[in-house]
Amino acid sequence: MAEAGRLDPDAAQRAIEHCYEQGWSDGLPLVPATQPLVDQFLARTGRDPGEVIGTLEQVGRDCTVYLAAVNAAMAGCRPEYFPVVLAAFAALMAERAARGGWQSTSGPAPLIVVNGPIRTELGFNSTGGVFGPGFRANATVARAIGLIVRNAFGVRPHVLEQATQGIPGRWSICIAENEEESPWEPFSVDGGVPAGTSAVSATLLRTSEFVDNRHSHHVEDVLWDLADTISRTGAQIFRDASAGVVLCPEHAQMLADAGYSKAAVQDWLMARCGRSPADLRRAGKGDLSKISPEDEAQQTASGRAEISRTMESPRQVPVIVAGARNAAISMVVRIFGEWSGTATPVEVPAGAGASAAAGTG
Amino acid sequence: MPNVILDPTGQAGRTPAGGTLALAPRRAGLQGARVGLLINTKRNAELFLTELGRLLTGEHGAASVMARTKLAFALPVPEDMLKELVSECDVVITGIGDCGSCSASAVTDGVMLESRGVPAAVICSDAFGASADAIAGLRGAPGYRYVTTRHPVAVLTPDEVRDRARQVLPDVVSLLVAAGEAAT
Repeated sequence: MAEAGRLDPDAAQRAIEHCYEQGWSDGLPLVPATQPLVDQFLARTGRDPGEVIGTLEQVGRDCTVYLAAVNAAMAGCRPEYFPVVLAAFAALMAERAARGGWQSTSGPAPLIVVNGPIRTELGFNSTGGVFGPGFRANATVARAIGLIVRNAFGVRPHVLEQATQGIPGRWSICIAENEEESPWEPFSVDGGVPAGTSAVSATLLRTSEFVDNRHSHHVEDVLWDLADTISRTGAQIFRDASAGVVLCPEHAQMLADAGYSKAAVQDWLMARCGRSPADLRRAGKGDLSKISPEDEAQQTASGRAEISRTMESPRQVPVIVAGARNAAISMVVRIFGEWSGTATPVEVPAGAGASAAAGTG
Repeated sequence: MPNVILDPTGQAGRTPAGGTLALAPRRAGLQGARVGLLINTKRNAELFLTELGRLLTGEHGAASVMARTKLAFALPVPEDMLKELVSECDVVITGIGDCGSCSASAVTDGVMLESRGVPAAVICSDAFGASADAIAGLRGAPGYRYVTTRHPVAVLTPDEVRDRARQVLPDVVSLLVAAGEAAT
């Protein structure tokens, strides 16, 4: 408390206003970045500050390690979060969808998923309110990505960013997987990184939608409920539509207890998500049907109404476990384009700080 | 002495590239011109551009039409396709910029063609003017002129698309030929 008495809030306010005046802010106050602060960030990575870690070809702008550090500092990250920011940014830039996604009318939000020991080391929330606010690591890592896009790439709303409405949660969806209460292997293992290694996976979302199913005794009821949300016509603009599920621990455990592996959940959903050609036509989307008119006529004649499946590969229906074990509420996350699902290891150089270094396992 | 607040854009003290891109020299008219179409796969782009090609050959004496499709509408035209357009075409029409990323990349394509000596007419929907203008500035061609058509384009029927192509034809011709020659 003694130090608090010596702080200068008036100078801090002026510095914050300066940042607003430069057009650097996403609307919320920024932490004014200084060289000594940014040096602390740069000390957390072995990479050269001048290394280019992302290029937005169509606007002719690059992001370097240095610019990422400045933006992460401004976002309110602690220096030890910086390797996670770098991994999240690398994971996003490796996704094809992110190449045009920042400018898209869809206004998609990054979904950042953190796995491994770094979750607990740095205080990432993986349990109650995982999609919500209240945790500095989750909030500022996601925000750092948004500031990089705004400042390093120069993609700003109403100019190069052309979101029609945008979505709630843009620049704030960073979740840690609840590995402790998941019955399955960590999501990063699906993405090619060994269990116990800290890693980040990321994609862009069109939105996230809850599925509240807390009274069913049969796992298939839960799966049908998820399938109904995944299959809504409004979300379909191409023949394929990728949608992940972020299962709460209760749903995940219920499924596992009934003998479902993650792959079995994916197979079940792939077989049942989609709409009939008639449903698609009713929404003016008949051309998205994969069922030919001849096949449809044949199915109708034999009293069947098959669906045009929207997901053909397990990659299109990633399964993640997060949230508290206090109610059976899960989330459908609507993926913008496709998600490779690849996990990016968090690189922390030796000697870069005890707490973070332990996270490399 | 307090620390300086750092700039997060990397653009401080940097002047925009060039600032005044010289446009490709214009022809007196389109008689005998080889027209390139750079189609970006957005809905109705192919028909819109194809119809423009047909009108330019049928009514303005263009000699031929070569159509190329770039599959990643969000990104600038691939280098090999750009080279082919530059070597095989006298003028190029590109579009349709009717989304956030494709409006920017269509203008980028236009600017790249101009810088290699080929006059270009970029077609954008009028909802994306801010994005198109901004990218032109970033590409060193502030004020770069392009053709706009009323938003939306994706919902138009084939006949409506052909009508639109007819409507923008004078603007396309005027962008591709030397001032004062457009009416011929």
